[in-house]
Amino acid sequence: MGRLLHRRAWLTPYALLTPGTAWLLVFFVVPMYYLGKTALSQGLFPIFSFNWQWSNFSDSVSTYSTQFVRSLEYAGIATALALAISYPLAYWIAFRGGRWKNLFLLLVIAPFFITYLIRTLAWETILADNSVVVRTLQAVHVLGSDGRLLATSAAVIAGLTYNFLPFMVLPLYVSLEQIDHRLVEAASDLYASSPVSFLRVTLPLSLPGVFAGVLLTFIPAAGDFINAQLLGTPQQYMIGNVIQSEFLSLRDYPTAAALSFVLMGAILVLVLIFARVLGTDRLTAGAAA
Amino acid sequence: MRWVRRHVLDAYAFLALVYLFVPISVVVAFSFNNPVGRFNYTWQGFTLSNWTHPFAFPGLSSAVQVSIEIALLSSLFATVLGTLIALALVRYRFRGSATTNLLIFVPMTTPEIVMGASLLTLFLNWRIPQGFSTILIAHIMFNISYVVVTVRARLVGFDRHLEEAAMDLGANELVTFFRVTLPLIAPGILAAGLLAFALSIDDFVITYFNAGTTITFPLFVWGAARVAVPPQINVIGTAIFVVAVGGMLANVLFQNRRARRLA
Amino acid sequence: MSERLTRGEFMRRAAAGGTILTVPGLLAACGGGGGPKAAATTAAVSQTLPKTITFSNWPLYIDVKKKTHPSLVQFEKHYHVNVRYIEDINDNDSFFGKIEGPLSQGQSVGRDVVVMTDSSGLPQRMIQLGWLEKLDKAAIPNMKNLIPAQKHPNWDPNRDYSLPWQSGMTGIGYDPKKVGYEIDSVDKLFTDPKLKGKVTLLTEMADTMGLVMLSNGDDPSNVTQKTWDAAVAKIKKAVSSGQIRQFTGNDYAPLLAKGDVWACFAWSGDMVQLQADHPGLKWAPTTTGAMIWTDNMLIPKGGNVYAGSVLMNWYYDPKIAAEVEDYVNYICPVAGADAVLEKTDPAVAKNPLIFPPASLLAKTHIFDGKALNNQKYKQDFQKLIGA
Repeated sequence: MGRLLHRRAWLTPYALLTPGTAWLLVFFVVPMYYLGKTALSQGLFPIFSFNWQWSNFSDSVSTYSTQFVRSLEYAGIATALALAISYPLAYWIAFRGGRWKNLFLLLVIAPFFITYLIRTLAWETILADNSVVVRTLQAVHVLGSDGRLLATSAAVIAGLTYNFLPFMVLPLYVSLEQIDHRLVEAASDLYASSPVSFLRVTLPLSLPGVFAGVLLTFIPAAGDFINAQLLGTPQQYMIGNVIQSEFLSLRDYPTAAALSFVLMGAILVLVLIFARVLGTDRLTAGAAA
Repeated sequence: MRWVRRHVLDAYAFLALVYLFVPISVVVAFSFNNPVGRFNYTWQGFTLSNWTHPFAFPGLSSAVQVSIEIALLSSLFATVLGTLIALALVRYRFRGSATTNLLIFVPMTTPEIVMGASLLTLFLNWRIPQGFSTILIAHIMFNISYVVVTVRARLVGFDRHLEEAAMDLGANELVTFFRVTLPLIAPGILAAGLLAFALSIDDFVITYFNAGTTITFPLFVWGAARVAVPPQINVIGTAIFVVAVGGMLANVLFQNRRARRLA
Repeated sequence: MSERLTRGEFMRRAAAGGTILTVPGLLAACGGGGGPKAAATTAAVSQTLPKTITFSNWPLYIDVKKKTHPSLVQFEKHYHVNVRYIEDINDNDSFFGKIEGPLSQGQSVGRDVVVMTDSSGLPQRMIQLGWLEKLDKAAIPNMKNLIPAQKHPNWDPNRDYSLPWQSGMTGIGYDPKKVGYEIDSVDKLFTDPKLKGKVTLLTEMADTMGLVMLSNGDDPSNVTQKTWDAAVAKIKKAVSSGQIRQFTGNDYAPLLAKGDVWACFAWSGDMVQLQADHPGLKWAPTTTGAMIWTDNMLIPKGGNVYAGSVLMNWYYDPKIAAEVEDYVNYICPVAGADAVLEKTDPAVAKNPLIFPPASLLAKTHIFDGKALNNQKYKQDFQKLIGA
């Protein structure tokens, strides 16, 4: 069996890829083809005709540029906050969790067992206008005397951050847990202080996890709509809300499709830049010897 | 001072966990709420009746069951498929790797509503009736990307020397994979599986379009919210959480006992 | 029973599954017609019920007792059929997005009765597109129990395609303790500085635009560009001044309950539930009138017309309507149900939000169906509410 594998070694990656990519090709790429045709169509529901309507793309960008930029902004801030909160937690679970590691991982995703709506209702109770939290913030003048937390940009970003926390913690943990503690010990044997050994040893080794976590948080957050809908005002609405209303309420499928492709393109470009900055080879290809 | 320095990390981690669980504690608390009306928005008094009658709302329990089944199945399949892809992408240089990378990223960037609606178009064109199986297909589809990205983070830092050592000692590739590689990347696979489970059990938009007449837990809650938010929803969410954590806790304690006995 | 099938054949087909007894299915089975795209004619409608009837409705919108729905169980026993009751409608636009695919391709959606709201404009649209079956009125003698106010809506003047399930009114819901007075005018809602940031409006175009138009003295059932623009301008002003906190679906309810919102556009049925725990909360039609919306039972193309009609007829029996009303607590469209409830649950029978007196109903308006489907107006409104 081993010899058989060896001779056909060049086939191995393709064999590994086939089941998953076939699934994606059939159940993602084909629907995207339909979506692409819709994006290049025009008309009023229910009659749409395909005629290479490239103007859908430019029109949608110019009309909704504010929401596009805002979405990327909110997603970026939420990702940064999530990283700040998640890294120490993931570090702690990886290095100090011991036998309880898996339990803590489960705890991190446990909020998802309770549907989004109920979690958000709970946050609305905690951050209500006359809640302890808001009244304290008013007392220390972080908020104005009639300031509020709900229905603001802060609320939307906080909602995004909270709901994508597990997407940041889990990849970070995965990378951190793998770090050989002896490397850290070696650094301190060589007289590196804790901060230095963290910055020079641990952090670089955890970069694949940081990369993964940032992707898994930023990408879906940019297209989110539900946080802005429940926790924001019209001034906070993101491109996801626009796509939602174009599709469901206005039933303007070509515009919704075009907006989606523009969003997807913008996110991919940002991801590519980010990967470049971090240095892709180390992040996506395995370290050889 | 030294004590503080040593425990800063512990404090930070503790606070992060508190942050994660503050709304959950509110949800659990409100599962004991006793509203007269159908909304569970403000505290009206303590009662145990929600816990003694968790299935008072017909449709809620079957919706929960469907959601759990789909989450378990889709996370299982997606984890397997995604891990294979991650292995291929990290371990091998091959033609088409860039395209495969793109294929993995793009589903994550697609807004749920157009993804859900386009998938429905596919099912309609191919005359596939919508229901449990189409929801499952959709969930596996969007979970694969998340699994790949997570497992890949683990594989990238993997020390190939261990595999080389095993093969030097006479193991062939398959044995090496199952005895050396897999156990070492297991935390990554587990984390990916958990992530996929969470994504699946909370999904609303894509599920809505492809569910036919099947109802999942999020679909039920969102639908019911127009006229009622019964405390039973909190009860069931809490119960799932308690069962899962309890199960995990029991497992850890059991492993501890075993380790101690073997030591 | 059709003369073209023997009883044996008929029973075998019925055993195979209800859908074959839909009109297109029957025509196909009998060798006539062009399959699913065949036009429905009432002459070919079967007069026997299928084994299973599929009824799609909004969640928690039917009577519930000990995990069953008594009215459905009674129906099943009476007619010896099985009812598949599915609570999968939670938003008109989303549900429409789900069923428009099959319907536009002439496929059946596998449901005999669905329930959709007139204020969404979708029942009107579906009639226009030919996606609804006409009711078999011969099978609905109880239609005579429909309350007079609902007999001739402007979008279905002879009730050929629809029958109300429940209605609701939209007005101002408020907390008099927080507001300080009994608020009942849209103008006060928009301009009282004490209410800044404590007001929400609805994302439902018919409700929000309708109430504002009424406050301008305009008629919402007949929208013109002038009246539309005036209403939009008024709302825009209130939004930019920060008076309006958010546009919500029914998620205004928790905000009102917790005091984050003091006054808002609200639905009467929500208020009934909120008042159970917060008796101080009030609902009032505005001085210039309220809007009324109705969730209608409809039979989508491909559904079994006879079965759907019989089901609808069942729910127009005042005794059955009373059972449903006792639980649902929105506005009952069946005359005589309140008389039944007076004996068993007088609190519900006397609640003006559940059985509104004729004087209150006279103040209600419905929105212009044509405007609901006017793309330009819809775009204006979406821009107004932020997306």
